Amino acid sequence: MDEEILQDFLVEAADLVDQLNDQLVDLENSPTDSDLLNAVFRGFHTIKGGAGFLAITPLIEVCHRAENVFDKIRNGDVAYDEVAVEVILRAFDVISESMEQLNDGARELPENDPQLLIDLDALTGKKVEKPVLNASNSTESALQLAEGADPDGDMSDEEFEALLNQRDSSGSAKNDSAILSLPEGVDPDGDMTDEEFDALLNQRDTSGSASSDSAALSLPEGVDPDGDMTDEEFDALLNQRDTSKLVPKIAPSPVPKISSPPPKAPPKPSPKATPKPSENNKAKPVTKNTTESTVRVDTKRLDDIMNLVGELVLVRNRLLTLKGKNTDPEDLANAVANLDHVTTDLQASVLKTRMQPVKKVFGRFPRVVRDLARKLGKKIELKLEGEETDLDKNLVEALADPLVHLVRNSVDHGIEMPDIRAAAGKPETGTVVLAAKQEGDHILLSITDDGKGMDPDVLRQKAVEKGMMDEQAASQLDDKSAFELILSAGFSTAEQVSDISGRGVGMDVVKTMIAKLNGSIDIDSALGEGSKISIRVPLTLAILPTLMVGFNEDSYAIPLTSVQEIFDFNSEKTNKIDGQMMVRFRDESVPLYFLNEWLASDKPKDNYKGDKVVIVAVGNQRAGLVVNQVNGQEEVVIKPLGVMLKDATGYAGATITGNGSIALILDLPGVVERFQ
Amino acid sequence: MDAANEMPSFGNNAQIDDYGDEPAYLGPCTRCVLFTLENEVYGIQVKKIREVLRVGNIRNVAGAAYGVLGVINVRGVIVTVADSRSMYNMPSREIDDLSRIIIVELDEERTVGLLVDFVMEVKDIPDDKIEPLSASKEGASRYIQGIAHFQDNVIILIDVEHMFAGIE
Repeated sequence: MDEEILQDFLVEAADLVDQLNDQLVDLENSPTDSDLLNAVFRGFHTIKGGAGFLAITPLIEVCHRAENVFDKIRNGDVAYDEVAVEVILRAFDVISESMEQLNDGARELPENDPQLLIDLDALTGKKVEKPVLNASNSTESALQLAEGADPDGDMSDEEFEALLNQRDSSGSAKNDSAILSLPEGVDPDGDMTDEEFDALLNQRDTSGSASSDSAALSLPEGVDPDGDMTDEEFDALLNQRDTSKLVPKIAPSPVPKISSPPPKAPPKPSPKATPKPSENNKAKPVTKNTTESTVRVDTKRLDDIMNLVGELVLVRNRLLTLKGKNTDPEDLANAVANLDHVTTDLQASVLKTRMQPVKKVFGRFPRVVRDLARKLGKKIELKLEGEETDLDKNLVEALADPLVHLVRNSVDHGIEMPDIRAAAGKPETGTVVLAAKQEGDHILLSITDDGKGMDPDVLRQKAVEKGMMDEQAASQLDDKSAFELILSAGFSTAEQVSDISGRGVGMDVVKTMIAKLNGSIDIDSALGEGSKISIRVPLTLAILPTLMVGFNEDSYAIPLTSVQEIFDFNSEKTNKIDGQMMVRFRDESVPLYFLNEWLASDKPKDNYKGDKVVIVAVGNQRAGLVVNQVNGQEEVVIKPLGVMLKDATGYAGATITGNGSIALILDLPGVVERFQ
Repeated sequence: MDAANEMPSFGNNAQIDDYGDEPAYLGPCTRCVLFTLENEVYGIQVKKIREVLRVGNIRNVAGAAYGVLGVINVRGVIVTVADSRSMYNMPSREIDDLSRIIIVELDEERTVGLLVDFVMEVKDIPDDKIEPLSASKEGASRYIQGIAHFQDNVIILIDVEHMFAGIE
């Protein structure tokens, strides 16, 4: 197997699988949308094509059958009903699992579950059975012949003659399957020979049902853009022609048309002469998704970067010529200003290459919600907003898991059963909205449901029951703080633990992961009306605005997003509670952590006069960090700490400051952990 | 550089001849950077070493593992610096003008700085002068690949892979 072709195939197929994932769920809601049906058909067909090239037999088997099913569905022969949905989704899962296995390095795929193939065949089989019941015998014999033909080779003339004879003898056979039978016998990957084409035309003529109203036929969208018409496509075209009498506008999309040759004197048109459907290329998405380790970058962006690098070299040359001479300070200032511009632009350009649409994460949710809703017997509509919002590649990957948790929670705990919703005067179908938008240098993600909402009193009570706080402390929590209790480890109000959610683990994980991304979570809820969970994360992980604090010579960077307030340390405002120093901050007791005890433990201090307290938010709690000095804000580039330091908790990385020295970036959850 | 390790050039042999007490040697050699710790000579294979730096500012990292002095900035890359003395359980020593940091490349992604007392020279050591040390010995010897008796020196060849094995 050619590794390079395989990689190309995997990248392309991953896109198709993502699209199919969306389309299949959409299709369930509008099973007769012919554009969608064609798109799905095309998706399976293209995957099959690639798999065929690489001889990945199990994949071909499934795709081919799925494709057949959709061919029937879009021709109106089979309905996309619940049975079909289940089987097709199963087939889709097999395909997407196969992709994963191939991505993981597997080169041989296991055999397909025979039951799946049978079920898929059964879906198309419905069509075959009908004509058998009411058609003449010759139809069956035509089918047999087709099956007997060499599936790899072109159809020989003899076989063809036989088929034609049969066809003629069948006389009044009108059902489609007789016409369908021909192409199944021929090489699905090969070009159609003139003979075959001719034969098909003859068939058409002899079938007696040819009528002049089918003068213009739409070429199906699945047509190979390279120009060779495959049998399936041709077959579909013929079917269309036949069914066009019944459903005149089955393929309304403006695809190239071929004129039906005048009856009786077919001028042997070569299929290659058909106009190339260049529109097909446009149908593919512009934004390509990626495999784990690669990013596709628009060439224009690369050109921009190259251009800027060129500028950078020019500035360097300029600075080099200025070096050493009796430099005019103004020249130097100009050069430095230029350097400033170029690097800023370059930084922005390089960052853009890392950006990906949030659609990559959102894409999986329609299916997740659909499956969950069915399992739970709920009716749920998922709305996606702001899918095109760009996000750093690493963030896109890191956000996937937390969002899955939150969406599952909304579906499981938020949305009520249809009868309860109806009784409450709400529409039976619940709505979950997953939205993303950019706010300055942050991305705001929100999951909103119109479910039952949360009862702060129940949460308070639960907190007491779990021993997290005493009754009095619980009663003093405002509603917002009560909602935030659900982020605590081991906190679940679900009466029953299901395999979907309710173990009280998920939200804790979500909180930790979001905190790792320097993000924050906000929970809002109204009893009976629904809940909204908002996540704010920085646009990129690579550059971080920080607050620089210092101990003597050493500087440390605190992520600015977490910093809430800075004030002078005043020992009169602190008190020791249970061995922990606390400070009053806006009517709240906040624990104080003296960073020098950790960062400069060799120089113990007993007087903190003149020190500053930096109030930071860590998850849903606050902490006061006591530092020597505050040096101001700085945007830093995060660099990983070297080897042997991965175990040192409390650091998120290091960075090089404006004066060339190294500052360590504090990882606040880790810092708090150290002090607890 | 790899080719140079295996194929001693005449230039190198001429250098060996300068010492006078060793016959010209044409067999396979290992090219090493030699440095001293407590008056002992140690060697690390050149192909493992990216560069040797003067000691600049080492930024200490509170809570780091034993033997880690801190991190340095090598042209925009943060590199951890370990004290080679602590690796061999020697008392640490003040950094002076002769101290150097040897930047060791374990692989493409992992780079470590090793603080040493003094870097002597780069030398080709004939492979037949190297006595491999069995790995079974206890304690400090686990970082030692072999010992070379060469030109009146006893050179302890360090197995850097082992020295930093298991670190991530």
